Amino acid sequence: MRPEIGTILGFTAQRIVMGLGDQGAAYAQGSAGIIAILLGAAAKEYERGADIRFNENAEIRALFGELAPLIRDDGLRRELLDAAGARDKSLRISDLNEGNYALRRLLTKLQIDAEEHGTPATRKRIWSVLKAMADRRLVQLGL
Amino acid sequence: MKEIEDRLSAYLRAKLGAPDLVVANLARIPGGASRETYRFRARYTSGGKQLDRGLILRRDPTASLIETERTTEYRAYEAFFKLGLPVPEPIALELGSEALERPFFVMSEVENCAPGTIMSPDPYGPHRQKVGEQFYTIMGRIAAADPRKIGLGDFEGARDVHAAAMQEVGRWEKVIEEDEREPQPIVRAAIRWLKKHPPPPAQKISVVHGDYRSGNFLVDDAGDIRAILDWEMSHLGDPLEDLGWAIDPLWAGPDPGRPGGMIPRDEAIRIWEQASGLKADPKALLWWEIFASLKGAAIWISAALEYADGRNSDPINAFSGWYTLAVHNKVLADRLAELDA
Repeated sequence: MRPEIGTILGFTAQRIVMGLGDQGAAYAQGSAGIIAILLGAAAKEYERGADIRFNENAEIRALFGELAPLIRDDGLRRELLDAAGARDKSLRISDLNEGNYALRRLLTKLQIDAEEHGTPATRKRIWSVLKAMADRRLVQLGL
Repeated sequence: MKEIEDRLSAYLRAKLGAPDLVVANLARIPGGASRETYRFRARYTSGGKQLDRGLILRRDPTASLIETERTTEYRAYEAFFKLGLPVPEPIALELGSEALERPFFVMSEVENCAPGTIMSPDPYGPHRQKVGEQFYTIMGRIAAADPRKIGLGDFEGARDVHAAAMQEVGRWEKVIEEDEREPQPIVRAAIRWLKKHPPPPAQKISVVHGDYRSGNFLVDDAGDIRAILDWEMSHLGDPLEDLGWAIDPLWAGPDPGRPGGMIPRDEAIRIWEQASGLKADPKALLWWEIFASLKGAAIWISAALEYADGRNSDPINAFSGWYTLAVHNKVLADRLAELDA
């Protein structure tokens, strides 16, 4: 999820310090409304951010371990097995993201392979993980 | 603000041939994230009459939600204002940087009305039926217009009915290629699906507004649409593109059966067909609906990058990267999973 909380808090603080009101009340009011929504979402993301990434990474690795034996391409199968056996470096958001990005890239390769050679059941299983990822990343608005 | 007022006064005095013109009450207003938008009054004498006009200034930002051709929006206003559609009257287009440091244009302010907001559960209240009927009728009239006859035949976009769909996919895939920093497997799957399942050729090449949706038009207290805004992404293409975008679930609010909080989907499509003289083939429309969510994702990815890189710290860009991108990922995942089943 980009931009990360640190970036949002930094730019928001800068914007407040520089003065929201110097361009007119209507603009300041509109900006303040969006900033309030963003800060509310940031507070929730602070609580759940590591959990989302940790679980997403675990779910993708489990998928790789499950589907790797069905893959005919030796190189892809090896990549999947290696990724399935890996672990996140730490629970820092930056480390979880680094692992997540690599897993997402490999997930796309797996899905392309499944679109060419996979069974409907394989493709359905991949979509179940993608749907879970999309659900988990939905942002709940409101303070 | 005072400096901009003075410089704008000088510019408009020369442009409108009004030596006594004075700009007053200049204030930035929210909305239109791809351009800075300001409201002001212009007081001057014309034909012996003392005028006090509400005007809008749209100035290029240092970086925008999506890079858009600055003349596009102005020319669309010119063309559709002449055609009698509800759009603000274009007043002046300035491509140079001398007057206000960046290019800009000025148009009339459509007063005493407001946009609906996608954050509201019922943006049009008791006027939802009336607003919806007008919304889809105007969209149909845009689709029905002949781009060459209204002076937009040279607009950017597709010329060939067979190429319109893939040209748009290519355009937004390029944006994703350039701006994606976080791998997007669902978005990538959507691009592959769109390429593998091309829609039927467009029935005609029309002007596509490009961002025709709830929130991009002004309604008065009587429920009449007074202005269709934000034409900066307009181009030539398949008119179903606007319909697919307008009924995208992102704008739906709490009732997905009433896109944009207006009228039911089936009624919306019927009204659009009547006004445009075209058919909304379900298979073709499904393709354009999936395309709409992909295009949305591309815009949000681009906006998030501009914010994260510090090029545009408008909080609406951060909101795009967080909230709207997540919604479009969910819409795409649900739809594509179902189509693959």
